[in-house]
Amino acid sequence: MSQPDVLIVGLSHRTASLDVREAVAFADDQIEDVNRQLRALEGVDEAAVVCTCNRVEVVSSTRHGPRVAEAIAAFLRRAESGPGADLSPHLYQYWGREAVRHLFRVASSLDSMVVGEPQILGQLKQFYTRASVAGTTGAVLHRWFHKAFSVAKRVRTETGIAGRAVSVSSAAVALAADIFDHLAGKTAMLIGTGKMGALAARHLMANGLGTLIATNRTFDRAVDLAREFQATPVPFEQFPRYLPMADIVIGSAAAGEFVLGEAQVQEALRERKGRPMFCIDLSVPRSFDPRINALDNVYLYDVDDLSRVAADNLGERAREAEKAEAIVVDEVEAFYRWLGHLEVVPTIVALREKMEAIRRGELQKTLNQLKDLGPRERELLEVLTTAIVNKILHAPIARLKQEDRRTETFYLDAARRLFDLDDKDDA
Amino acid sequence: MELFLFALSLGLYLVAAAAFIVHVTSGQALAHRLALVALTAAFALDTFAVVLRLSSVGVGALGTLHDQLSLLAWLIVGLYLGLQWRAPLAVLGALVTPLAFLLTLSSYVVFSGAERLPAELDSAWLPAHVAPAFLGYAIFALASCVSLVYLLRERQLKAKRRGRFRLPSLETLDDLNYRCVAWGFALFTIGIVTGSLLAKAVSGTFWSWEPVQVLSVLAWLLYAALLQARSMGWRGRRAATLTLVGFALLIVSLISLNVGLPHGRSFG
Repeated sequence: MSQPDVLIVGLSHRTASLDVREAVAFADDQIEDVNRQLRALEGVDEAAVVCTCNRVEVVSSTRHGPRVAEAIAAFLRRAESGPGADLSPHLYQYWGREAVRHLFRVASSLDSMVVGEPQILGQLKQFYTRASVAGTTGAVLHRWFHKAFSVAKRVRTETGIAGRAVSVSSAAVALAADIFDHLAGKTAMLIGTGKMGALAARHLMANGLGTLIATNRTFDRAVDLAREFQATPVPFEQFPRYLPMADIVIGSAAAGEFVLGEAQVQEALRERKGRPMFCIDLSVPRSFDPRINALDNVYLYDVDDLSRVAADNLGERAREAEKAEAIVVDEVEAFYRWLGHLEVVPTIVALREKMEAIRRGELQKTLNQLKDLGPRERELLEVLTTAIVNKILHAPIARLKQEDRRTETFYLDAARRLFDLDDKDDA
Repeated sequence: MELFLFALSLGLYLVAAAAFIVHVTSGQALAHRLALVALTAAFALDTFAVVLRLSSVGVGALGTLHDQLSLLAWLIVGLYLGLQWRAPLAVLGALVTPLAFLLTLSSYVVFSGAERLPAELDSAWLPAHVAPAFLGYAIFALASCVSLVYLLRERQLKAKRRGRFRLPSLETLDDLNYRCVAWGFALFTIGIVTGSLLAKAVSGTFWSWEPVQVLSVLAWLLYAALLQARSMGWRGRRAATLTLVGFALLIVSLISLNVGLPHGRSFG
């Protein structure tokens, strides 16, 4: 087989549970070594390992058939630490178009656990860079990964796949952005020390929240929480006094009774001169009086409301994901056409054809102007131009024929680019 | 020639309105760009048309309904485009542009040639009255569009539904509304004062209980109250609703200016 083909072997959250993924995952400082070992496997031309908490995959290019996939699978099985359960049922392999499509989908976050999450692209870039630094990538992986990055970018800008919050905490942040201009300079009050509340507070802080006030029935725990978030602790009995300062109020107390009532909020609003308040009740059972939502300029959301917002957004993402899949399919074809051209003989033929076409065209132009030339002179010109083309092409073609499989794709790609041998719409 | 320009800008408004709506509902960036280009082109055409009209008919042109409507459309679009530099609010464009389209269309419909004003109205107070008053109207129109978006947004948030398209935050809208009302109020105040001076020059009396005077003063009081009440906590929904009520009063007053009376003239 002289044409390079692309191959992905690995496992992901779709095929393996967390403990299996953990057993295979490579330590961060091993990655370069793993890349070099993979590249040293028989038949592997280029290799890059991608190892996140949701997937361990070997992205490679090869000119040899199925046994290469088997060699990589065996390598992954050897790498497995722990109980030594059989990895085989969890491993998948993608060849050719399927492999191209898979990498594009991973980069575009279509294969992520939470579709549209933005981290995967950065991780992919990082793992590609590490493989290139280790010297285990070449023309195919270079082009393939960069194409994947640009597909991901296209998906991001042309579809709304990453546009909406899909967890309760991020839905709370998104809603805060619907109400307030920006979170900087805003104050939030956290009532209670529940997990959900702390998570929402963390999200708000990460999005630039100005000040956090924490309160709890047991003051000590409020102090602990305040230390963790660099917040200001307030005794529970006094929190209504601080309420007018709060643009956002997060309820996270398992109280069984309402800790925040309508009258308190009304009073706070009066002091706030009607500036809006966003109340987030994350306690189950609820700890904010639902009637608060009826007050002007107050928006009360409980866990169910937030989950609904998140679920709506997830549905929205699913619709956007379909658009994204169409983009991916488009790009797979373009890339695969380019890959199909990376072969020695067709490249040499294309190169010769291109030069011959140029030679004929230019010769004809000259002959049109030299109408009184005799047949002998015409023949001489023909010979001269052919000789020039042949001499020019001799060294590059000889080079292309001699390259070993490791560097061949590089030269093929370079030749195709330098002499413009591919259609414009190919990868 | 003028009518041709109006027809052309009418077409551009339609394109811009459609593009804005496509952008707001689908989020397509290209549609947004197209909308802005079409709107800017329409504005340039209208500017040309306004200059042409003023030079051929003179300041008196400001007396016909046709010119008032097209002047209003021109000012609103100009203000929106100006605002666009500071705060790009496409959803506002989706409201402002159809409004400008309707205003231009109505002005096209009521066009009745180059009417001349009654000679007694041809006073130096006329431009001094019309310019600030109409700029005030245009800003109030913008404030009303902002208020409409606010009310839509507020309803969504209260009902816990998030719409399909992205809207600016409540705070942004409320703040913009306040600033528009404040500026509109200042200009409108000047318009009312110069208007009564114009009335004095024309009919010898500052105040004559004309509908336009009464309604304008009512609207002025309402906006004054609105600005005052803000410091007491009247923001958001209430402020947006009052902005719309005030603007409705202004529209009625503007219509009353042009219908009912024999040659449709009197100034407040």
